[in-house]
Amino acid sequence: MSESAKYLILFSSFLVLAISFGIGLWAKKKVTSPEAFFGGAKIFGPVTIGLATMAAVGSAFAVVGVPGLVYSTGNTILLFMFAAPAFVFGYLVIGKKLRGMAEIGTVASLGDLSDLRFNHHRGIKLILSIMLFIGCVMYLSAQVEACAKLFENLFDWNRFVISAVIFTILIAYTVISGEIGGILTQAFQGFVIVLAGLIFIIAFFTVTGGFGPVLEAISGQQGAAAGLNPDSMTAWGSLPGSYSFAWVLLPTLGIMCQPQVLTRILMLRSPRDMPQLSIYAVLTNMVAGMMVMAVGYCAIYLVANGTLTIVDPDKAVFKVADYLGIVAQLFVYPAVLAAALSTSSLFLSLAGNIVSRDLPGSLGLKIKPARQMATSRIAMSVMGVLAIGFAAVSGDMVAILGTYGFGTLTAATFPIFIVGLLWKGASSLGVMLGMLTALVTTIGGVGIEMLKRFDLSDFAWPGGVPWYVFVMAASVVVTIFASLATSGDKLDKRVEMAMDL
Amino acid sequence: MKFNVETSLITLSAVLWIMMVGLAGTGHWLAGLYVLLGLLLIYGVLGSSHKGRFDLKLVAFPALVWIIMWAAAFWLGDHYALAFAGQYPDFTILGFHPSFAAIVVLFWVVPTLLMGFGFEMVKDRWLSQERWDDFVRQVHEPMSEDGDRDKEGQA
Repeated sequence: MSESAKYLILFSSFLVLAISFGIGLWAKKKVTSPEAFFGGAKIFGPVTIGLATMAAVGSAFAVVGVPGLVYSTGNTILLFMFAAPAFVFGYLVIGKKLRGMAEIGTVASLGDLSDLRFNHHRGIKLILSIMLFIGCVMYLSAQVEACAKLFENLFDWNRFVISAVIFTILIAYTVISGEIGGILTQAFQGFVIVLAGLIFIIAFFTVTGGFGPVLEAISGQQGAAAGLNPDSMTAWGSLPGSYSFAWVLLPTLGIMCQPQVLTRILMLRSPRDMPQLSIYAVLTNMVAGMMVMAVGYCAIYLVANGTLTIVDPDKAVFKVADYLGIVAQLFVYPAVLAAALSTSSLFLSLAGNIVSRDLPGSLGLKIKPARQMATSRIAMSVMGVLAIGFAAVSGDMVAILGTYGFGTLTAATFPIFIVGLLWKGASSLGVMLGMLTALVTTIGGVGIEMLKRFDLSDFAWPGGVPWYVFVMAASVVVTIFASLATSGDKLDKRVEMAMDL
Repeated sequence: MKFNVETSLITLSAVLWIMMVGLAGTGHWLAGLYVLLGLLLIYGVLGSSHKGRFDLKLVAFPALVWIIMWAAAFWLGDHYALAFAGQYPDFTILGFHPSFAAIVVLFWVVPTLLMGFGFEMVKDRWLSQERWDDFVRQVHEPMSEDGDRDKEGQA
């Protein structure tokens, strides 16, 4: 690649960063109250929320990790990317109840929602805060790592410096404009991902001639010589079936209670916009899904034909973009950056909310609203610095932690926001025990995985099912049976009305 | 704990969670996926509840149609994966391996569009403007000390 092409790609990537910063600055004037800063402003329409949700859910893992997995293991991971109907299902099942809760009182964070549903139960809020915080660390570190990989592919730059520069700008605009700027920048970043997706889809058909030639290429002699497995092109790919199970279950049940989805529902102008929001969310998600499939398939085709050699599957997206030429590069690199930025800004805001509002509230401490904003800004900055530092010392371990984030957040939020909103009988004690189970088993699960990673344990999870599936099941089952064994709470009439919507 | 339909359904959902993970943990992951569909149906029914009544028409479309499509996708996907294991398939659909074509069509594209546009079609049944306006009016009415709305507000 020529030096001028490299600097052109760098310019297009930093343009995304600069526009995001500009949007953040502009959004500052819309932050008219601490509630608006934290996410309590119900002012956005379905297009903005749809793009922002897709961008925040579609993290750098989706844009970098998924094409690499498609290339190396086939279609299994696409089950995760293709579960888009789950977005709509989530809106259908809990959307109006959740949005109804936001009418009852000031709801600017998930902790506020938990307060309303479970009568300000401090234990639930404390465990929720801790679990969300763990999820934030996992997600943020993975995004830092993805940003480092992005430019590492172009220049011989120090990974730590790259991450520091990008995250300094990200932290600056998130700190200035809070969740308002967060939503608007995420919507812009979602648009960038969709644009790159459309270009990549066209490029895929131009290069390969369609899906048939990919199947022929991988089934041919060169495909076998390159170590590619034709069975990876079946529905379940070449990974054990337990992965297909986990990667259908995780998004299907997980999407409807991910913070990226829940917090955005709360900011929708009217709940009757939710069906339209569904359309925008699923259409943009489909483009993102098609894009990662196209990149992965393009990599398979080019390697099977002997055109490319890919050693590190995580770099498949960059290798394919480099092969396609400058037009694809000018969109793909910024799209990876956009995916990392959108998820990062959401989790930075979430971490800020936890430290300044939810955690002090759960401990019985009261911080004045204006002070909460200052505390949140400091917390976001510290969290960003911590994530950069953690990614710098942990190397590729953070990528693994990133994949755990989704499961951890699901285990944390499912008992409160799905069981809790669908069933009036979910008691505070039951939910707290379920959450405690989630916390303990998450720590246990991550601990065992780390031991295995350093060859200190050879424990195998039953059936090869990923550990977070057991964590999710344990937290839900304990919540329900413990609630059955204890008496339900006396609900506020308005909360009952929201649950009855 | 007083048992009503909601409580019975949520208890059944806990049993299905155990069954689903138990099946997958003992190697029967495909059976676990079918159990997941049952779980989705329960959440769909619970989500359709309005003042203790379930709107089964809302469950039937679009959610149940989606769930049936996913069941068909799993069955066809597995059937053709086994039928053409280790060999080039006898036929392709849109260039895809027939096993994966079932996933593309019945797991992804058609159900996604069905759910997205189907939701718009049942929008008023899901939440009418009148029901929402009523809710907003009632939650903003003054409350009596025991948390009940004033009698005037209930009239």
